[in-house]
Amino acid sequence: MSLIKFILDLGAVVMLPIIIFVLGLLFGQKPGRAFRAGITIGIGFIGINLVIGLLVNNLGPAAKAMVENMGVSLNVIDVGWPAAAAIAFASKVGAFVIPIGLAVNILMLVTRTTKTVNVDLWNYWHFAFTGALVTAATGSLPLGMVAAAINAAIVLKLGDWTAPMVQEFYGLPGISLPHGFSAAYVPIAIPLNKLIDKIPGINKIEASPEQISKRFGVFGEPVMLGLILGVILGLLAKYDAKATLNLGMSMAGVMFLMPRMVKILMEGLIPVSEAAKAFIQKRFAGKEFYIGLDSAVAIGHPAAIATALILVPITIFLALIIPGNRVLPFGDLATIPFMVAMVAPITKGNVFRSVLIGAVVIAVGLLIATNVSPLHTQAAIDAAFKFPEGATNISSICDGANPLTWILLKLMQIFG
Amino acid sequence: MNTKKVVVACGTGIATSTVVADKISEACKKEGIKVDITQCKVTELRSYADEADLIVSTTILRDKYDVPVINGLSLITGVGEDEVLKKIIGELRK
Repeated sequence: MSLIKFILDLGAVVMLPIIIFVLGLLFGQKPGRAFRAGITIGIGFIGINLVIGLLVNNLGPAAKAMVENMGVSLNVIDVGWPAAAAIAFASKVGAFVIPIGLAVNILMLVTRTTKTVNVDLWNYWHFAFTGALVTAATGSLPLGMVAAAINAAIVLKLGDWTAPMVQEFYGLPGISLPHGFSAAYVPIAIPLNKLIDKIPGINKIEASPEQISKRFGVFGEPVMLGLILGVILGLLAKYDAKATLNLGMSMAGVMFLMPRMVKILMEGLIPVSEAAKAFIQKRFAGKEFYIGLDSAVAIGHPAAIATALILVPITIFLALIIPGNRVLPFGDLATIPFMVAMVAPITKGNVFRSVLIGAVVIAVGLLIATNVSPLHTQAAIDAAFKFPEGATNISSICDGANPLTWILLKLMQIFG
Repeated sequence: MNTKKVVVACGTGIATSTVVADKISEACKKEGIKVDITQCKVTELRSYADEADLIVSTTILRDKYDVPVINGLSLITGVGEDEVLKKIIGELRK
């Protein structure tokens, strides 16, 4: 036990490589490959740390100045899912999340309580994130691990439940999408869609995606989005021209670099996730099982893209007008497709309805993200991210605004 | 033979496309084909497509492209993986 404690206390940059190396060996990787994978993950983590520094150090002061000038108190920076994923994997719960997620999946397959063979190990980070928040709130690692396990089980059930709809709408036979973020919106979207059915006038409106994508295209390019938002924030902060343009470039840089850094993390995870995938698929294969994938495979659908593009300006607008919101949307503006990936099949691709539902969940989500920001920041510090003195708080939309994560957190706090 | 340019597109430009890029790069190494693989989000594909010899996507593509497109979903599910890799290699040999 003391060895485990020692490893957990080494800090993410050292802990993650060791964990991935050991997991690699356990799944039968050659020591050389497992070792390289471990080192790669550590490097990815260092890279993300650098980019978060770039983001917080530039956007933090601008947000503060904007607060003073404008009287809008958006001083919680949305760092985006790449940072949230890194925080999650680097947390103490994250160290155990791969075995936990696999164990839950195998147990449920054996007991026939799920049909989904979730081969998408990368997205176990959502479960780790819930666990990390619970641990940050309660100080208890076991409670965090339990929360992660429950989250994994719920998401598998959501994957099963939505599989027929997803398969038909997206044309993905044999696939389910047990995705911790996308699937969480299904239980909300179904009743909201039913509600829309009952509202006269509104229930007749249809909108097709084709035109919208072209007009809102720029919102789909994170680099441009970063540049524009950076410049606007610079102006609102009353920076001079030089500082404003520099802020714009820095934010474009964050949008470009952050995913690159997560890609390194991802590369390090591939050997372990491929081995685990082979292990679990060999035992549970055939027609009666769904293959659980990342909802990224559905994002290309015009309805999902169009809905998400329209929701980008709406999200910023909502952030400005919702009383009590303190989150400055940034990093996850490019992540909105994941929020609506499983809403689109429910509305049968009706962009108008998807946007309406999306706006509701974002409005509530911003308040959730504001609510969890102290814990989100704490989890980041626990995971050895460096924050400047007196730094702004951070949060994210994915998964800081995730209702399922939030409900699990609040439930677990009762026990903590 | 020249270096071939492959663009791998997915919802994030990171998650599933990294797995696919990894598999294509390994297969090409085995076959002795020189490739330069770029990953992108499906919403950015338009800006990358012009310079590519081949597009591999794990998600649905809305637009039509002048470049050949192969669906790479099998490389994530593992079902029918070898056939898709063969198809990719065949396309790059052209």
